[in-house]
Amino acid sequence: MKKLLSFFFLLGIALTVFSQNIQIKGVVVSGQDNEPLPGVNVVVKGTTNGTITDLDGQFVLSVPSDCVLLVSYVGYKGQEIAVKNSRSFRIVLQEDTETLNEVVVVGYGVQKKSVVTAAIARVSSDDLLHVAPIRVDNALKGLAAGVTVTSSSGQPGSASQIRIRGIGTINDSDPLYIVDGMPIDGGIDYLNPNDIQSIEILKDAASGAVYGARAANGVVLVTTKAGKEGKVKIIYDFSYGFQSAWKHRDVLNATEYATLMNEGKMNAGEAPIYADPSSYGKGTDWQEELFYDNAPIMQHQISASGASERINYYLSAGYFKQDGIVGGNYGRSNYQRLTLRSNSTYKLFDETKTRNWINKLSVGVNAAYSHIRSTGITTNSEYGSPLGSAIAFSPLLGVYEEDEEAVYAEYASVENFAPIYDKKNGRMYTIAGSDYNEITNPLAALSLPGEIGRSDKFVSNFWAELQIWDNLKFKSSFGTDLAFWGTDGWKPVYYLGQSNKSEKSQVWSSMYKSLVWQLENTLAYDKKIGKHSFSILLGQSAKKTTGRYLSGSNYYMVEEDGSKANIDFTTGTSANGDQSVSGSAYSPSTLASYFGRLSYNYAERYMLQATVRRDGSSNFGSNNHWATFPSFSLGWNITNEKFAENRPGWLTSTKLRFSWGKNGNESIGAFGYVALTSTGNNYYFGSGDGTLYNGTKPSGLANENLRWEESKQTDLGLDFGLFDNSLSFSVDYYKKITDGMLMTMSIPSYVGESKPTGNVGKMENQGVELETSYRFKVGAWEFKIGGNATYLKNKLINLGNDTGYNNYDSYQNVGTISRAENGQAFPFFYGRKTDGIFQNMEEVNSYTYTDADGEVSIIQPKALPGDVRFVDVNNDGVIDDNDRTKIGKGMPDWTYGLNLSVGWKNFDFNVMLQGVEGNEIFDATRRTDISYINLPSYMLNRWTGEGTSNKIPRFTFTDDNNNWTSSDLFVKDGSYMRVKNVTLGYTLPSKWARKALISSLRLYVAAENLFTFTKYEGFDPEISSGGTSLGIDRGVYPQARTYTFGVNLNF
Amino acid sequence: MKKIIISCCALLSFGLNSCSDSFLTVESANQLYVDEYYTTDARIFEALVASYDPLKWFDYAWGQYTHLGLVSDVMSDDVYPGGSDENDCAYLHRMFNYKALSTSVVSDLWTTFYSGVNRCNVVLENMDNVTGISDTNKALYLAEAKVLRSFYYTWLWKLWGNVPYYDVNLEYPYLHDQNTADEVYEGIVTTLEDAIDNGGLPMRTSSAWYGRVSKAMAYMLYTEAVMYQKDETRYDKALQYMEEIIDSKEYGLVADFASIWENDGEWSTESIFEINYVSTNGARSWGSPITAGGSIYPKLIGINSLSGSADYESGWGFEPVRTEAYEMYDGSDTRRDGGILNFSTYAASTGATYSGRYEDTGYFLKKYLPRNGGNAGSSGDADMNYGNNFRVYRYAETLLYAAELLVRGASGEGSAQDYLDEVRTRAGVESVTASLDNILNERRLEFVGEGKRYWDLIRFDKAASVLIPDGGYRTGTWTESKKYLPIPQSEIDAAQGTLTQNNY
Repeated sequence: MKKLLSFFFLLGIALTVFSQNIQIKGVVVSGQDNEPLPGVNVVVKGTTNGTITDLDGQFVLSVPSDCVLLVSYVGYKGQEIAVKNSRSFRIVLQEDTETLNEVVVVGYGVQKKSVVTAAIARVSSDDLLHVAPIRVDNALKGLAAGVTVTSSSGQPGSASQIRIRGIGTINDSDPLYIVDGMPIDGGIDYLNPNDIQSIEILKDAASGAVYGARAANGVVLVTTKAGKEGKVKIIYDFSYGFQSAWKHRDVLNATEYATLMNEGKMNAGEAPIYADPSSYGKGTDWQEELFYDNAPIMQHQISASGASERINYYLSAGYFKQDGIVGGNYGRSNYQRLTLRSNSTYKLFDETKTRNWINKLSVGVNAAYSHIRSTGITTNSEYGSPLGSAIAFSPLLGVYEEDEEAVYAEYASVENFAPIYDKKNGRMYTIAGSDYNEITNPLAALSLPGEIGRSDKFVSNFWAELQIWDNLKFKSSFGTDLAFWGTDGWKPVYYLGQSNKSEKSQVWSSMYKSLVWQLENTLAYDKKIGKHSFSILLGQSAKKTTGRYLSGSNYYMVEEDGSKANIDFTTGTSANGDQSVSGSAYSPSTLASYFGRLSYNYAERYMLQATVRRDGSSNFGSNNHWATFPSFSLGWNITNEKFAENRPGWLTSTKLRFSWGKNGNESIGAFGYVALTSTGNNYYFGSGDGTLYNGTKPSGLANENLRWEESKQTDLGLDFGLFDNSLSFSVDYYKKITDGMLMTMSIPSYVGESKPTGNVGKMENQGVELETSYRFKVGAWEFKIGGNATYLKNKLINLGNDTGYNNYDSYQNVGTISRAENGQAFPFFYGRKTDGIFQNMEEVNSYTYTDADGEVSIIQPKALPGDVRFVDVNNDGVIDDNDRTKIGKGMPDWTYGLNLSVGWKNFDFNVMLQGVEGNEIFDATRRTDISYINLPSYMLNRWTGEGTSNKIPRFTFTDDNNNWTSSDLFVKDGSYMRVKNVTLGYTLPSKWARKALISSLRLYVAAENLFTFTKYEGFDPEISSGGTSLGIDRGVYPQARTYTFGVNLNF
Repeated sequence: MKKIIISCCALLSFGLNSCSDSFLTVESANQLYVDEYYTTDARIFEALVASYDPLKWFDYAWGQYTHLGLVSDVMSDDVYPGGSDENDCAYLHRMFNYKALSTSVVSDLWTTFYSGVNRCNVVLENMDNVTGISDTNKALYLAEAKVLRSFYYTWLWKLWGNVPYYDVNLEYPYLHDQNTADEVYEGIVTTLEDAIDNGGLPMRTSSAWYGRVSKAMAYMLYTEAVMYQKDETRYDKALQYMEEIIDSKEYGLVADFASIWENDGEWSTESIFEINYVSTNGARSWGSPITAGGSIYPKLIGINSLSGSADYESGWGFEPVRTEAYEMYDGSDTRRDGGILNFSTYAASTGATYSGRYEDTGYFLKKYLPRNGGNAGSSGDADMNYGNNFRVYRYAETLLYAAELLVRGASGEGSAQDYLDEVRTRAGVESVTASLDNILNERRLEFVGEGKRYWDLIRFDKAASVLIPDGGYRTGTWTESKKYLPIPQSEIDAAQGTLTQNNY
C-alpha cells in the first residue's frame, strides 16, 4: 500500500512538473495466455515517473511524447517501448522461462543454475504440462537423462520402477523422495502431478551428499507449487479418456491348438486326441473376452493461487479415476485418487528496510491429503493370473458351460461345490478341469470379489524462517507423514478349478498406520564480497518412524453379501480356528544427522562446493550407528574467463563440472545386528487334535558388525549454451561404485538358521548422459526440441559369496532364469545357448565330443530329429546345467527420450518419444509343465520335418532332450520406441473467452502410447516386477493406449 | 556474526548430541533379546518345542515334497514317483532312477534336518542359564533334545552319509568340517546312549504328551542306526532295548491292521513314535507352509480326479504303489488291502472313478490316502491340512528288529520265531521260518509305503541286485556309490571347499 501511495505521490509530481506531457493508457497481458497482468511496473526510462497496472492489467500515465517506457514484472521479460505518438498500448509480456530456469532446487535451498557444479536433472511444470501425467513416477519417463523409469504394469495405480544411474545395489535401489523438504517413504503416489512446480533429480554424489545416508540411489526432490503475485489464479482442468490394450498376443486358435496337441501326442508315441482339428474353428479368443476396451479414465483438477505482499497461497483439489483394461469392468482393477493441497507462506514481519538484524520472519505450511482406493489383480504371474490364464487357457473351451446339470454331476464329490456365474447373464462359467493346474477361466476368476486397498495419507510440513542478521537465516521445520492404509476383502464359496477353490466364505481386513516425523534446523548464510560469493549451510535433522498394524479374518459369512463383507458379519469361532488375528506396533526406526555445505564462487568463474553429512541410523548396532559422508564438486565457467571474451558470438556459455562424493544406504530393515526371539515355532502334542504348544527360537544369525552400504561416485560434466542459450547441450560421465553392499552372507545352510546379513558385495555403474534442447521461432511458429539419452553399463563386481553367483528369478518347471554373477551385469538372464535344430538323426549322431583319451561320444544322445541342439558351453561332452550361461539382460544399454513442442498462434502441439535399446526380455509366458495349455503362435513355426525350422523345436509331450529348459529360445529383443504422448491443444482467442467470463480456455486431445515400435511379441515390452526383477514377462499387464479429451479453464 | 553462528551451533549440538545415541537405540516392539530369554522352565520348554517343530516340515516346507516315506520309497521297489510326468518333482524321478544331481535332489530336507539340529542345540546350550527348573525336567528336556538331534542326524547320515556333525551351534565363519559317515554314526549312537542312560525318559509318554520323545522311541532310533551301520558290537545292546520295550507291555500289536491308518488308529497301542499333524485349526498354507497344522502328503499321493468315493478325497496322483508290491502278498494277508487300495476292486464295489496320472498302476497307498473329511476344520489351505500323522516307529518293527537281531546272533531272552510269528499272526498269515531273508521280506510286507524298504535293501546288501532296471519306468541301477546322495550344490558352493561331494 505504501508503495502504491508513493507512486501516486510521484505521479502527482510528474503531472505538475512536466506539463507538456501526453496522457497514454494501455493494457499489459501475458504472452502465454493473454491474461491481463496486474501490478506490472510501467516507468518512463531514466526517471522515477511511473505507475503499476490495475487488476485488469490497465494503466494510465502522463508521459513526454518522445519517451521510452520500461515495462517490468517479476517472472517476465522486461520490455522497452517507445511511446512516439501512440496514445494507447497493448503490451504483451513474455514469461521469462530462462529466469525461472536459472534457479535449481538443491537440498535445503536453491542455487543459480550458472554456478551449479553437480549433476542435477530438472523437470519443470512446463515439461509436465504437456505430458499430463497421472502418476509422478511416470512423468519422469523420457524427460531426464540418467533416470530409467520402467512401468511395472499397466494396472491402474501400480508404481514404476525408478532407477537413477543404474542399479546401485542388489538391495533397495529406489531413490530417496523428498517432497518440499519432507522425506516420503513408500513412493510418491499420493502426489497430484498438477501440484508440482518442479522435480529435481540429484544424480551425482555431490548433489545427493546433503542427504548422505539415504542418497546412494539418487534423490528425487519434488517442489510443489506456490502462488504468484498478481491476480488470483483459478484453474479448472477436466479430462476424459478411453483406454484399450494396444496389442493382443498371438496364440493358437482352436484348430491350430488341436493340431498341435495331436502332434504332441503322436510325437510321444501316443494316439492323437482330436479326430478333426479343423472342426473346432477358431474357438474362444480368451484375450478378446478378457480385455476391457475403451476403459474410462477421468480427472478433475481445480486450483486457486495468488500472493500478496504478506501471504502466498496455493490451494488445489484433484480427483482421478481409472478403470483398468483387464478387470476394470469387473471392479477388480480400478483406481481412484482424491488429493487436496494447501501451500501457504506468511510473512509475519519484514523490517529489512529499517534494520539489519532480526528483520524478517516468514512461516509456512505445506499440507496435503490424499485418499486412494484401489483394486488389483495378480499380474505378471504364471500361476493363474487373469492374463497368464488368458494366453494359456484352451481355445477349445467356451466361456460358459453348456450343460450345467452335467457339471454338478461331475463335481458331485466336491464339498460345497460352487461354480461361478456371470452376473450379467446368469450363465455358468466354464470350469477348468484337472489338466490346467493353476490356470483357470480368467473371466470366472475376475468375477470373484477380490480385495480393496485403501490409503489415506496426510503429509504436512511447517516451517519458520528468521533472518537473523545480514543474510544469515535460521530455518526450522517440522514435518509429518501420517499414513493409514489397509485392505478389505472377502471370498465366497467357489470352485474355479482343482487348485483354486474355497469351501467356506471368508472376510479379512487389515489396517496399518505409520507416522514419520522429521525435525530440521538449518542456518544459512550468503555473502558476496567483491567477486567472492559464499554460501554456507549448517544443519541438523532428526527423523523417526513409528507405526502399527492390526489385521484379522474370519470364516463363514452370514450371507455372501459384498456390501456387508465385514468381520462382524461372520459366524466362525475362534474355538474352531476360523478366526485369525495379528497386530503389533512396528519397532521404531530413527535417523539423526548433522550436515554442512560450503559453496564458493569467484566471479561465477570458479566454483567450489563441499558437503559433509554425518548420519546415525538405528538400523545398526551401537558400534556402527554413525557414518560420515563427504563430497565436493568443482566448476569452471570457461566463457567467463577473460581469454574467452573474444569467443564467437554464438557460444554463450561453457561450463566444466567435476564432482566426487560418498553416499550411504541404510534401508536394510532393523535388528540385523542382534538376534531376537522368534515365536510361532509351534508343535502339537497329545492324542486326537492335541494341544498346540508355543515354541521359541532365535530369530536368526546376527551380524553385530553390520554397517552402512556406501557408494562412491565420480562425475565429470560439460555444459554448453549456444545462441543466447536457445540451444543447450550437456554431457556427463559418471562412475559409481557401491561398496559393502548388504546381502545375506553366503554360508552353508547346515548352520541350521537363517543366514545373517553382511557387508559383502560390490557393484559398479558407469555411464554417459546427454541432454540437449533447442528453441527457435519461424514466423508465428515456435519450436522447442529436447532430447536426452543415457548409456549405462552396470557390473556386479563382487556378490560377496564364494561362488561369485546367486540365482534370482525362476520359472515353473524351467528353473533358474536369472542370476547375479561377479563381473556381469546385474542381474542377467541365465540358461543354455541353442544352436539350431537337429534336422535328422545323422546330425544328432555327428554332434560329438572327443575327450582327452580320444574317445568320441555323442553330446546329446537322447535327442531326436526336431530337437534343439544345445551348445556345450563348458566343453565337457555333455549338456547339463553346467552349460548355462548369460543369454541376455533386462537392463537397457540406452534409454532415451525426445520431446518436440510446436506452437502456432493458438495451437500447441507436443510429441514425446521414449525408448530403450540393448535389453532383452525373457518370455516366460508358456508353462511347459502343463501339457494341454494353449501355446504361443511361434509354435506354428515348429520343426515338423527336415528343413522346416532351425529355431523352434518339434512339439512333443515327451521331451527327453529337454528342449524347453531355460535357453535363448525364451529370450527376445526388448528394445522399443514409444510415442509416449501426443497432445494437440487449442486456446480460444481471449475475446471469445472473456465473453464467457473466463480468462482463457484451452481444449486439447491427447494420446498416450499411441505407437510402440518393438519386435517383441508380448503384451508390452516394458516389464518389471519390482525388486531386482526386470524384463521377465510372465504375462505382463500391458500399458493401455489412451485417448484423452480435456479442457483447461482459467478464471 | 561468527559469535551467533557458533552459539547457534553449540546450542544445536548440545541439544541433540547428548540424546542422539539414545535416540538411535531402538527396542523391538514385539521381540526380546534371545541371549537373555531362556531363563525359566517354561521358556526353555519353548526352545524344546521349537526343536520338534521341523519334524512337521518333512512333507513340504520350502518348495519340495520331501515326505520321509515318499523320499525313501521312491528309491525302493515298492512305489513310483508318479505325478504328471518326469518333470513333475524331477528330483523324485531322478532319485527313483539313481540319477540325482547336486542341483536336483531333496535339498530341502538337508535344510530341515539342520534346522532341527540347530534348535536342539539351542536347548542344550541354554540349559545352564535356566533357574528354578527341577532336576527331573532338566534331564528330561536335555534327553529329548539329544534324541531329536540324533533323529535329524540319522536321516542326514542315511541320505548323505558324510555330513558336518556338530553338537554346539556354529559361530562365525559358520563352517564345520565334513565328517565321515562313520564319525556321524558315532556321534549319533553315543548321544543316544547318553540320553537313554541319563534322561529319565518314560517308556511311553502319557497321552497328553503324545508326540514327545519316549524311551521306546529312543530305543527304536538307536536300533535303526546300529542296524544300518551293521555295528555288531552294539547288537546286544540294541536287542536288550527291543526286549525292554516288549517286556514293558506298554506296547502291543493292534488286532486290525487296517485300523492303524485311520484317524482313530493314531497313537494306538502299537504306536511308538508319530509326527503329529492336526487338521482342526490347521493353519498351514502356501504362504506359510511351516506353520503348525496338517500335512499335505495325503493330498500329494491322493487319487487323481477321484469321484464317486465316500471314503477318500481326490489328490494329485503321486507315489502310486507298484503292481508287484500289491501282488507279493498272500491273499489272506490283511496288510494287503489294509495298506494298499486296489482301485479296480474298490470301483467294483463303489462305482468310483479316477483318472490315472503318470506311472499309474491302479494301486494306491491306502495307509495315507486323504480320508473324506480328513482335513476338516482347517483354517489354512485345506489341501495342506490333512490330519494323518506320520507313523515313524510301530511296535511291529520292534518285534521284527528283535527277531532279526536274534537271528544275527545277538544274545537275548526271546525267540526270533515267536517275534516273527506274532507279526504274521496279526496279519492273518501262516508262520514262516525266522531267517534273514524271511525277516527282510516280512519287513517289506509290513511296512510298504512307510519308508523302510530302501534302507533295508541296503543294509541286507540286496540293493544292487534288487534295484535294477525293471523293464518299465526304472532304467537306472543302484550301485554302492548310490548309497549317498549328492550333497546339494548350494551347500558345496557355500562351504568354501570344506565339503567334498559324494561320489554318487
